[in-house]
Amino acid sequence: MSAEQGTHHIELKIPSQLVFLGVPDAILMELAGDLPAEQKTLDELSTSVIEACTNAMEHGNGMDADRFVELHFDFAPDRIQVTVLDAGPGFDFNHWTPPEDLLRERGRGITIMREFCDTLEFDTAPDGRFRVRLSKTLGEDA
Amino acid sequence: MKIKERKRDGVAILEMSGKLMGGPDATAFGDTLKTLIHEGVTNIIVDLGKVSWVNSTGLGILISGYSTVKKNGGDLKLLHVSDRIESIFMVSKLHTVFTSFDDEDEAVRSFA
Repeated sequence: MSAEQGTHHIELKIPSQLVFLGVPDAILMELAGDLPAEQKTLDELSTSVIEACTNAMEHGNGMDADRFVELHFDFAPDRIQVTVLDAGPGFDFNHWTPPEDLLRERGRGITIMREFCDTLEFDTAPDGRFRVRLSKTLGEDA
Repeated sequence: MKIKERKRDGVAILEMSGKLMGGPDATAFGDTLKTLIHEGVTNIIVDLGKVSWVNSTGLGILISGYSTVKKNGGDLKLLHVSDRIESIFMVSKLHTVFTSFDDEDEAVRSFA
């Protein structure tokens, strides 16, 4: 995929099983490989998408393999946005604060997404599903 | 995730491969550590050189292992941490907890 090809939209549904977390990573690495992005940029975005999907599977869909996590990838020459939807009620992101215990075993996903992405939005989609939207600008200055 | 275990100078080296992401991985890693501790081996090197990525649940597995080994008087150090995984340690501040090495000889010697 080259920058001259413009924008592309891809949709994907994966069962809520951790084994499928590698699928969005593979899609990003395959399709963004020709875009003008540093590997670090793609790694950070993909890591964030994996975190969003992990949360969607665990907290949104309760690891129910019959419930799907839906992903929308929007590729533009200078930017990638990924939307992740699950069946859960979501949470109040505006009042979320990161736990302080450095040796805690959970609770780092949102911090990782927030640090790695240029934009991170949580809301409820029109159909009632919980929605996370992450984006990252590509290019040398990303 | 797969775990290949070997010992060198009283140090257990756990070569991980695949993706470190929780679920069955946590059980496999925990069981491996439990067996080693039962054998009296509490100095552990986790080689992440063949791990393609880690998520926050995978980080939890490493932290749980670190805490377990520390409670038993040993230490858990990391080897061959890729740039991608290192960046996750940085943003989660876990680089201040884990000691990591690029060279296996140096990692083993650090327990002497």
